Amino acid sequence: MAKAFKYGLKGITGYLEPAERDLLRSLIDDVISMLQPEDRTGQDPLAALIGLDMDVAEPTDRAVRRLLPNAVKDDGAASLEFRQLTERSLRETKIGALRAAALDLDKDEIVLTPEGARHWSMALNDVRLVLAERLDIRDEADAEHVHRMQDWSQAEDVESYLALVYNFTTWLQESLVQAMLQSMESRR
Amino acid sequence: MTISVAPGPDTQEGIRTGTAESTDSLTAPDIPWNLVIWNDPVNLMSYVSYVFQSYFGYSESKANKLMMEVHKKGRSIVAAGSKEQVERHAVAMHGFGLWATVEKASGGNDGDSRKSGKSGGPGQGKGKRG
Repeated sequence: MAKAFKYGLKGITGYLEPAERDLLRSLIDDVISMLQPEDRTGQDPLAALIGLDMDVAEPTDRAVRRLLPNAVKDDGAASLEFRQLTERSLRETKIGALRAAALDLDKDEIVLTPEGARHWSMALNDVRLVLAERLDIRDEADAEHVHRMQDWSQAEDVESYLALVYNFTTWLQESLVQAMLQSMESRR
Repeated sequence: MTISVAPGPDTQEGIRTGTAESTDSLTAPDIPWNLVIWNDPVNLMSYVSYVFQSYFGYSESKANKLMMEVHKKGRSIVAAGSKEQVERHAVAMHGFGLWATVEKASGGNDGDSRKSGKSGGPGQGKGKRG
């Protein structure tokens, strides 16, 4: 079994079983592949260089849209303009955090610096956002319903399996954030 | 949970909103834009508070107060500043996975009256896991 993240002398530490690390690695890889910008040939190289993306559009996949949300409510044109200026670098930020977390999964014991912990918390959060979309978590009642799935022997279908995975990543992120808050407190 | 706002780094609310951007406020005295964070049922309350503390440098009490406002009212204005400032904050919030939008400050109104009865946002009126 995984151990909750803890804040101590070495920093923030955690432990995951090999199967849990494999699971997280594949979840992270899934999210990375969703965020990977399409390789567009013929794009203005200067625009690409400064991070502009004039061909960008609001994502059609709900989970991707949750990862890269509109920044101006009820204003598609303004949101699109915002995307052109920022979406490429946002994708890169997220992929960077996800890759950093995936690299840490290669070791038995996970020892995190404050920066590493931040990357982990962002990566776990993005994984959870995607799982939540797949599980159709729309409100607190949905979340409660999913949260009740705690027993792996109940895993009978894809949805119950996803719910258990979601609850595992929720538990892991909560323990990590508690350790991060403790670490922040001690540095104050 | 205490909701008292401790004096200190957050006393200049609305101006001191981020990291290394203090000079921007010199050219934006009228602070016409707000950064809004919306509730959703996925983001952990502890994580939202962590983001407010670590990114904006808010005290624990202020971060928790804003987090509870998001949780209970569906949205909260967590920072204000020039358009460029709040847009930068919005990208950072999206990086953390929080759902942020930017909006023009409506004079005198804290903006929260908009939430009642207005539908449309996927996160509106929904709780968070905690």
